Amino acid sequence: MFVVYLAKVEKAIIVDHLVKNFEVTERKPGLIGAFENIVSPKKKIARALKDVSFTVAKGELVGFIGPNGAGKTTTLKILAGLLFPTAGVTQVLGFDPWERKTEFLKRISLVMGQKNQLWWDLPAIETFELNRAIYEIPKKAYKESLEELVTLLEVEKLLNIQVRRLSLGQRMRLELIAALLHTPEILFFDEPTLGLDLVAQEKIRNFIYDYNRKHEATILLTSHNMNDLINLARRVIVIDEGKIIFDGILDELIARFAKEKIIKLTLSKEMDLKELEKIGKVKKIQFPEVVINVPRSTAAVAAAELLQSFPIADLTIEEENIEDIIRKVFRGETRKAFRK
Amino acid sequence: MKKYLSVFKISFAQEFAYRLSFVMWRVRNVMQIVLVFFLWDSVFSGTQKIIFGYDKAKIITYVFGLIIVRAFVLSARAQDVAGEIQRGEIVNLLLKPVSYFKYWITRDISSKALNLLFATCEWVILYLILKPEFFFQKDPVSLGGFFLLVALAMFIFFVLIFIVSAITFWMPEAGWGMQFLIIVVAVEFLSGGLFPLDILPSAIQKILYLTPFPYLIFFPLQAYLGKISGLLLIKGIIVSAFWALTLWLLMKTIWYRGLKVYNSPGK
Repeated sequence: MFVVYLAKVEKAIIVDHLVKNFEVTERKPGLIGAFENIVSPKKKIARALKDVSFTVAKGELVGFIGPNGAGKTTTLKILAGLLFPTAGVTQVLGFDPWERKTEFLKRISLVMGQKNQLWWDLPAIETFELNRAIYEIPKKAYKESLEELVTLLEVEKLLNIQVRRLSLGQRMRLELIAALLHTPEILFFDEPTLGLDLVAQEKIRNFIYDYNRKHEATILLTSHNMNDLINLARRVIVIDEGKIIFDGILDELIARFAKEKIIKLTLSKEMDLKELEKIGKVKKIQFPEVVINVPRSTAAVAAAELLQSFPIADLTIEEENIEDIIRKVFRGETRKAFRK
Repeated sequence: MKKYLSVFKISFAQEFAYRLSFVMWRVRNVMQIVLVFFLWDSVFSGTQKIIFGYDKAKIITYVFGLIIVRAFVLSARAQDVAGEIQRGEIVNLLLKPVSYFKYWITRDISSKALNLLFATCEWVILYLILKPEFFFQKDPVSLGGFFLLVALAMFIFFVLIFIVSAITFWMPEAGWGMQFLIIVVAVEFLSGGLFPLDILPSAIQKILYLTPFPYLIFFPLQAYLGKISGLLLIKGIIVSAFWALTLWLLMKTIWYRGLKVYNSPGK
């Protein structure tokens, strides 16, 4: 006799057959073009999202990737209630985002790498205080939340400096605090590490990871940064031209499409480069630097062999560019679609 | 309500962020008034005692009244709204549990409070220096009507700006131009912000009274001067309230539609 216990997985985000069209005016260049635009503007429908469906369980951290203009940001904006969907159903925490109910807005946050909410001419602490009032955060919770965030992101000394005097990286960390003071359950990150140096990227990444764990927050994150995805997301959704073309475990995506690793060498003295061809595909030689692509499965062996038989000063093994993998994903999918 | 108190506070702090430009703005205000004062002062220095139905005291009062009423009605922070829509900054507020309209009305009130504070100081100083013949209204009905009309005028102007800004949802480039047209041409000219409207031919005046513009500056000042009273005053208040309500409903409809077509630019 079996007792079947069905764990009810709580869905934080439901997207069902979502469609979004934009009306765009075509611009003609030059003075005459500008005049024509005024007299008879040419309107065109741009189909940003064609048919997007997915769900995200509570506490999940999902990477959302795709080339520029694929519809990532549009999807996030619809989920955050900023854009009105043309068709389809979206539900976040049981709310229809477009209604922008207070109870909904208090539980979500959208962080965009290029948007800023901090008051430019005032110290960041002023914006935080304003958010405390707007989100109606109790004094104690606000203090705790602020202290935690400030310590984690190491910005104690920046709170009372006018925002316009800060560097981009410093500002981004403060932006993050402003977006998280109300401890949202759902977080949408749009390119959170864009334009930051490696140290700052690492900080933000660690922070997102911890936040997800600690608060069981549901996180949807777009990024062009491979490291963001490798370190953060187990599951990825790949979107292209307004359609989802992959939804699954990141390792699966990489295994399926990232067939190669990239070995970067620095040679300590000149040598016959022909020998290197035996190891893998030599992509670039610019003495003393050499770049070789090798099959994923033999990367370790290849590296060991290189170190043994060649005069090497430095060697690194890197992942393929996310863009390259995504491009492969497209090709693979297209082929599969043809076979059907 | 506490939210909006915080908005008020931060707006106030923001106004002082650029001290020099703040001072320059005040200087410009004073210069404007001084110029208009000397213009009318020299007009009345001739033999004619009454021009267009205004004697010297009343025209001077009109000019000085302009300082206060303009400071109240035509100084709207909400003029930044069109730019916010165009640059996509509006999303920062749309994402928060706060009413966009109430947020801006609060920022507006904060800006007006500051403006009034300084305008009053300037008014007192100019009064002491220029020693103009000034008409003090003592009738409580006229004064009450005046304050009520100014309150309505502030609301009408604020809603007008919101309506004009909403054009940006459909035409991102047009926002600024439209605002210029409405605020500088329509409002300054048609509201009596530059000269009393009753010096215009009566046919034009009649047309003007079909628009909300005279109720922004001219009509409230007429009430103060006692040129309009009794039934006419009550009728004016009703018309002004009618415009406030109508424009508010129109604004709500336009914004509801605008946000639907909005494509949230910037990224």
